[in-house]
Amino acid sequence: MLDLLSALAREANSWVELRYHARRSRLIRMRNGRMEESSSAEVIGVGVRVLVDGVFGFASTTDTTREGISKSIADAQDAARTAAGSKKKRIEKLAPIPATTGAFGFDLADPLTDHSLEEKLDLVQRIERRVAGADPRIVSAAASYAELIDEKAIATSDGVAVRLLQSRPEFRTMATAQENGEQTLGMDSVGVQGGWSDMLSKRDPEEMADHTVKLALDQLQAPFPEGETATVILDPGLVGVLAHEAIGHTVEADLVLGGAITMGKIGQSVASPLVTLCDSGVSEHLPHAVGTLPVDDEGVAATRTVLIDQGVLRSYLHDRESAAHFGVEPTGNARAWEYSDQPLIRMRNTYVDQGETALEEMIGGVKHGYYLKSLGMSGQADSNAEFMFGVREAWRIVDGKKGEFLRGVTISGNAFDVLKSVDAVGNDFTWEYGAGACGKGQPAKADLGGPHIRCRITIGGRQQ
Amino acid sequence: MSTPSLLDRCRQALDIARARGARQAEIAAESTRRVTATISKHDLQIAQTQRETTFGVRVFDEHRLGFACTNNPSNVDSIVGDALTIAAASPPDDHSVLPQPSDAPQLEGLYDEAAASFPTGDVVKQAIRMLEVATAVDPRVILGDADFVATVSERALVNTEGVEREEQSSVFTYFALATAREGELVSNFDFQFDASRSVAGIDVEPTTKRACENALGSLGAKPGETFKGPIILSPGATLFVLVSFLGFQADGMNVFRGMSRWGDQVGKRVASERLSLIDDGTAPGGVATSAFDREGVPHRRLTVIENGTLTNLFHNTYSAHALGATSTGHAGGSPRTIPSVGATNVEILPGGVPKDELIREISKGLLVTRFSGNTNPVTGDFSGVAKGAFLIRDGKIERPVAGTLIAGNAFEALMSISGLSEERERVFNFTLPYVRLEDVSVTAG
Repeated sequence: MLDLLSALAREANSWVELRYHARRSRLIRMRNGRMEESSSAEVIGVGVRVLVDGVFGFASTTDTTREGISKSIADAQDAARTAAGSKKKRIEKLAPIPATTGAFGFDLADPLTDHSLEEKLDLVQRIERRVAGADPRIVSAAASYAELIDEKAIATSDGVAVRLLQSRPEFRTMATAQENGEQTLGMDSVGVQGGWSDMLSKRDPEEMADHTVKLALDQLQAPFPEGETATVILDPGLVGVLAHEAIGHTVEADLVLGGAITMGKIGQSVASPLVTLCDSGVSEHLPHAVGTLPVDDEGVAATRTVLIDQGVLRSYLHDRESAAHFGVEPTGNARAWEYSDQPLIRMRNTYVDQGETALEEMIGGVKHGYYLKSLGMSGQADSNAEFMFGVREAWRIVDGKKGEFLRGVTISGNAFDVLKSVDAVGNDFTWEYGAGACGKGQPAKADLGGPHIRCRITIGGRQQ
Repeated sequence: MSTPSLLDRCRQALDIARARGARQAEIAAESTRRVTATISKHDLQIAQTQRETTFGVRVFDEHRLGFACTNNPSNVDSIVGDALTIAAASPPDDHSVLPQPSDAPQLEGLYDEAAASFPTGDVVKQAIRMLEVATAVDPRVILGDADFVATVSERALVNTEGVEREEQSSVFTYFALATAREGELVSNFDFQFDASRSVAGIDVEPTTKRACENALGSLGAKPGETFKGPIILSPGATLFVLVSFLGFQADGMNVFRGMSRWGDQVGKRVASERLSLIDDGTAPGGVATSAFDREGVPHRRLTVIENGTLTNLFHNTYSAHALGATSTGHAGGSPRTIPSVGATNVEILPGGVPKDELIREISKGLLVTRFSGNTNPVTGDFSGVAKGAFLIRDGKIERPVAGTLIAGNAFEALMSISGLSEERERVFNFTLPYVRLEDVSVTAG
């Protein structure tokens, strides 16, 4: 396929980018002892992007023959020409890139295809039963396994010719508990870029089941917090959510050009000097982060981008178009979900870099505050970095000790104000959101993580 | 030799499934041609074309479920095998059954011949028209994101029980998201949506104008006030605070899963007497209108809430079987997915009172035009930021307010509805009025 794409790219009479993408996926979901879904899907085709008269055109086809792809190139060129007459700001150029070639990811250990459907089914059934049977107050239990196996070939008329294999398994658990007419929800998930054993060794499914049950049950008894602005310790999950949702989106160059709060702030201090925040196609610190990419969908090497270096905003996230506009190197953030999607600027693995403080020391230094863990049911952030997130697990900290468990906690504020208030960054590190997907018109698998951090944040209490 | 129709290809796949021993099987297919013109940052961004045909194969082997899909029509034989392999490994489930044949209505106005030949150039022209409308509203307005999409599609479905359906449709959709900017002041964004089934019905102007005017109106918003009192939700805010939640609670699958409280509430009051909500997959001109659902069961008009009383739940064949009911024709999803339960064209009946009258009766309250937050579908707790919000004082809109939090519980809010406007707007597949709620917690940001 790559040879065909390269030949067609060379023959084309405009700049073209041809992306063959074969996605094979599987989903198994059990709930309350019943098989809700066991399915497999294949979505295969070629996405064609052209640049004609300073305007992009895009077409996609499931006909992956020479004739089919050629027709799509012509369709995309027609679409671009039609649009060219109406576009005000033409694309003058795309940032030049090295002509990357090669094959990536085909040396995967313990591939998902080596494991039978029965084995995957057994895992889901066993864990779902464990959740369901854990306590009479559990009224609904679910477990699911999903896998995405993506094979891509990308060729451009400026010499990119790469092949990729990406494998992303994930596993989820869920429990609903009920007592005295009240219902609470517990959930857990794990997701990796890697093989079957990479997923299982990251989290033990039995432990996930038990944690899910405990979370649902603990909330039944737990009080709600009072609203206040307080000192909090955010776990790596929430640090990652803050880094991705509330900061990361504001530095995506397309949103910057659309008026995001970071516009014109490169070189300015936007966070505490303790904070270094990155987005990377490499799985730094620990392996198997789900957003890991050797090259992006434009064929650009997806290396580490330091967005905030010791408190100072250093970079936005770019594709080739925005990099040319800003006169910088592309950062390898152009990603498309399926063959029929055009690449957009998307994050990969977004994290706060490790610091030096031990978690116990951080908690020990708080007289009155909260220890907050994982994103709950809700989360919203805007391009002005204002956010509101639900928190899945929360405890009071009183006189340097983790105390009472709380439920219904939300946090809100402006992410940059929160980062300015950081007075300790942990010496630990975890990738936390391998099972999630980021949405921006199309989904993208992106990981989030970091160490624990201590900062000031507004806690939402229940309205009485 | 003529190309076989989509229905013929489904019949062929069903024959293959039977030949391989499937006693119960369903083949669903959809073929789509779509042209999109996208606006970004007040300029034309890209024009794109897409064609795709997807087949979904669902089999039941002694009530054991297997499902597989492909977008490669030449690979349908192979996915029939995949579905059978999956079914053989699955545990049986008594509720895994296929629907029986029944008469589906013939619906007019779903397909406009002119849509099939609607040129890419005209799609681009409509997107440009949206830009022109926005510019004409006010130079301070920016159309941040917008698109015009022309879709022509064909669906077909067959099953071993004798159900055979096919349908052609066309739809033009237009979405506009606008902000306004004056010096350093930037408004919150507002978005609006509308659609037409025919070329003649396309009119992007009112939709675009409304998004722009709403964005402009919220320019210069300052912090609001903290109080507990009445709020008015715009049709868009009503969708996100109340109607999505209501759809979850009325979903037969969620009742069966033990995640809805409404399983034993049919025939009982769940909302204010002012509220009547219907779902009608046969509504002329509706975005979600089609003769049959994802399983081939005919669509129909279903009253879900009548004067505050829950009258019906949404069912597909599975949830109906599980709860001893009949499918209401609400199997949702595409051939890519196992049928879910999904609403079609939902409307809240108008309240007979002008929107301005709802405002006039309030001494102190909040008008919310966009809600950025969540309603927990299980507990009904909602909290979030009123992004487009206006303080109401002494029966008049006083000023735009920023960063105001609203919080409450959707079960209680449904009961506290104290007014519905006569005016309604279409938000995706929902047609909704302005809704006034009482006793909502409003916190200045």
